[in-house]
Amino acid sequence: MTDRIQWQTEMDEALGLGQQSGKPILLDFFNPQ
Amino acid sequence: MDTVTYPESEVARFIEENLIPLRIRSDSKPYPEKFNVKWTPDLIILGPQGREHHRTVGFIGPEELIPSLLLGLAKYHFDHDRFEEALARLAQLLTDHGRSGSAPEAVFLSGVCKYKQAHDPKPLKAAYEKLSADFPDSEWTKRAYPYRLL
Repeated sequence: MTDRIQWQTEMDEALGLGQQSGKPILLDFFNPQ
Repeated sequence: MDTVTYPESEVARFIEENLIPLRIRSDSKPYPEKFNVKWTPDLIILGPQGREHHRTVGFIGPEELIPSLLLGLAKYHFDHDRFEEALARLAQLLTDHGRSGSAPEAVFLSGVCKYKQAHDPKPLKAAYEKLSADFPDSEWTKRAYPYRLL
């Protein structure tokens, strides 16, 4: 298990991974500046 | 969050083990508007169907993020009437992070889960008693105040 967060960047991909794994999604809206 | 919270190995491991992490810029389209994002950081626990279960707005330090995420996972299960799974997450929160900012709501929600499991009001009263003893100034103690009469 990695000690670095492997962020997804696409909503549909994350929801698909959530459906496959049964895990909820942690959605982080961030300010890029 | 990027300089203090997410680099903590315990935080990263917890997220990778329990959640699908997704980052979206607040100036992108269409999701910030769809989720009514007005300030960042805005962290949301979504079910795999895209339904929102828990949200926090503003910076969260590493010592508070894991209990907040445990509360969000408990709410995810609670919203699907999976009370055993919700109670397991809440117990983990209260055992490992019992003085965190998420703990009072976890006590409240534990009482509600137990009530909904057994339709017995005693856990609601017990939740109020624990809240009034351990967190007398919490808003969750005030919300549980009527349960003292059960």
